[in-house]
Amino acid sequence: VTANLSMLAAVVLKELRQTSRDPRMIALLIAAPVIQLFIFGHAVNLEVDEVPTVVVDQDDSRASRLHLRRLLADGTLTEVARERTGADARRWLVEGEAAVVVIIPAGFERDLVRGRPTEVQALLDGSDSNRSGVAAGAISAYFSGVAEGLVRARMARLPRPEVRSRVLFNPTLDTAIYMVPGVAAILLMVITTIVTAMGLSREREVGTLEQILVTPVPSTILIGGKILPFAMFGIVDFGLALVVGAYVFDMPLRGSLVLLFAVTALYLLTTLGMGLLISSVSSSQQQAFMGGFFFMLPAALLSGIMTPIHSMPEWLQPLTLANPVRHYAEVLRAVLLRDATATDLSTQILVLAGMGIVLFAFASFRFRRALR
Amino acid sequence: MPKSLRRILALSAKEVRHVLRDPRTLYLALAMPVVMILLFGYGISFDLEQLRVAFVDHDDSATSRTLRQRLTAGRDFRDAGRLRTAEEAEHLLVAGGAVGVVIVGEGFEEDLRRGRRAEVQLLLDGADNNTAQQTRAKAEAALRVLTMELGAPEGASMGEPLIDARTVTLFNPEARSAVFLVPGIAAYVLAIVAVLLTSLTVAREWERGSMAQLFATPVGRLEIVVGKILPYLVLGMLTVLLVLAVGTWVFDVPFRGDPLAMAVLSLLFLSGMLGQGLLISVVTRNQMVATQVATLSSLLPVMLLSGFIFPIANMPAPLQAITVVIPARYYVEGLRGVLLRGNGFAELWPEMVALLLFTLFMLVVSTARFRRTVA
Repeated sequence: VTANLSMLAAVVLKELRQTSRDPRMIALLIAAPVIQLFIFGHAVNLEVDEVPTVVVDQDDSRASRLHLRRLLADGTLTEVARERTGADARRWLVEGEAAVVVIIPAGFERDLVRGRPTEVQALLDGSDSNRSGVAAGAISAYFSGVAEGLVRARMARLPRPEVRSRVLFNPTLDTAIYMVPGVAAILLMVITTIVTAMGLSREREVGTLEQILVTPVPSTILIGGKILPFAMFGIVDFGLALVVGAYVFDMPLRGSLVLLFAVTALYLLTTLGMGLLISSVSSSQQQAFMGGFFFMLPAALLSGIMTPIHSMPEWLQPLTLANPVRHYAEVLRAVLLRDATATDLSTQILVLAGMGIVLFAFASFRFRRALR
Repeated sequence: MPKSLRRILALSAKEVRHVLRDPRTLYLALAMPVVMILLFGYGISFDLEQLRVAFVDHDDSATSRTLRQRLTAGRDFRDAGRLRTAEEAEHLLVAGGAVGVVIVGEGFEEDLRRGRRAEVQLLLDGADNNTAQQTRAKAEAALRVLTMELGAPEGASMGEPLIDARTVTLFNPEARSAVFLVPGIAAYVLAIVAVLLTSLTVAREWERGSMAQLFATPVGRLEIVVGKILPYLVLGMLTVLLVLAVGTWVFDVPFRGDPLAMAVLSLLFLSGMLGQGLLISVVTRNQMVATQVATLSSLLPVMLLSGFIFPIANMPAPLQAITVVIPARYYVEGLRGVLLRGNGFAELWPEMVALLLFTLFMLVVSTARFRRTVA
């Protein structure tokens, strides 16, 4: 056992020395993820406000001015210009300079005073469907509120519904604290998978792998020793990500940190196993890189990190269950934000553990065979 | 000059042979983008439907049961079951079993009948803020309307609404997010493929020592740069065609604008991204470092800083400043202009100028940093 351990330590040491010989590699492994997390945590914000709006007020009355002012007051829409006709205003949409046109027709005030139905028009640039949806919602909500008030003034015994919403876990609906755990999961994958896949292919390309093979080191220890340093980098990166998340983005650390690090170790087993698998099927660094990319892109996009999984088509949703990133991101978010326990997340943890063990076992089997 | 041209073509021919010898590169350039755009076109969507909503019904009356049944009858919400207490509801949210819980208080039916304030509570999982926000908007509106209908006295009706806010959505009337996202996905896929294609070419020659052989020939630095980029530019333009074909046929993304403007935009963008890949390759001289730099400088920035998913206008000022030098930003904007808004050169020349500047910068710097010394 001691002999095995010292062999393992020797391989780990060699790997660390080789990695740290190029200081750029250390920078990429430690500093780059932190900087990325910092930048992207700030970049991701789906909130829609200050939508550029062109106003066409054909009525130009006290009522039209009042309602336009109130409509613009809540900050969802921001007036960027006034035009006389709908056609002029439409140009702004075509050029992409504005996303909404609100048109108040002539006779708006007169109709309101006489209690006759009237119409307000909104033209929306649908090319950004998320933004146009929110803008349309804001406009409809404002005017139906006004209309309801007018009806209520005439009819006394209307029902008075009241819906009170309470948002748990993230009451300010801040995007960053939801995205930071997700981005951290992607960064961990990018770093560990690619570095493992390429590191091993490189040794094969340069021919140093054969030199190691003539030493008495068994292949299991060789694999373990090559993987361990990157697992350590992964754990360090994860710790750094938590620090950046908590201090820069005020991300809460609600759940158990022990649970988080344990699940991170399971996740790293899958990403490193994937790297090992990729290197066992590639003969050059370029192929390893492409293979890595081909795994990472779908894994990142079909993880529910950028867009919710329940927005995906029905046939695609079950496929995401085979994606370790999905399970890991779910655990991270649930533990950090919702204070979920291991029991709440037993499915995700078991799936992750199963995947990690199977993937790693299969990858080392393939890798050992490729060595012969 | 023709001599120089001949040298460039010879270099390109050499590069083409490299590519053909390992068909995986061709696969990367042609098949992977199609697979990716299919996967992402289906996979990335913000269209929220079938949101899982649970109920706590303290009233347990005919009205409250109808409320629950009608709320989940449409496409927006799906019934995630009935719970007994608010504590159970919170626990369900912690475990991620629902995005929201509707809590109907005791006496709801009675309050409604008597014209008193009838309160419904909505508990939301705010962890996913975007889903929470949309769920709140949809659920609040639906609950309000349903309660009004359920509580309206017999025979009375609200009548025609006094103000009808008619919204007309241009360019994408069904507000499908695929139409919005596919141009972004196309830019993303192209950027990655372009950077990947070139980022390894020069680094590989350094590592294998063939760069020294290249220096023994009379080829100049600029000739190497141009000769290396040219074949990939042709390959990249093929990829553009493929990706656009998939976008318009599979995802029904319209093509309303000027095809020529589109071709110019794509050419400029591709040259810029290939130039970026080459610069990485020239500077790092090491495939492992080159790939890490390429990944970190293309995968995440193009996804997050191009405005493809996350609106640039929402970013803090320093980040908005960074997006100015992200070429994908202009390409995404230009593609949306051409495809959805029917734009041409008249509207898109600023994007083209920006892309041109980026490309020139990349080529000049790659050439300048190209040292003819064997380290």
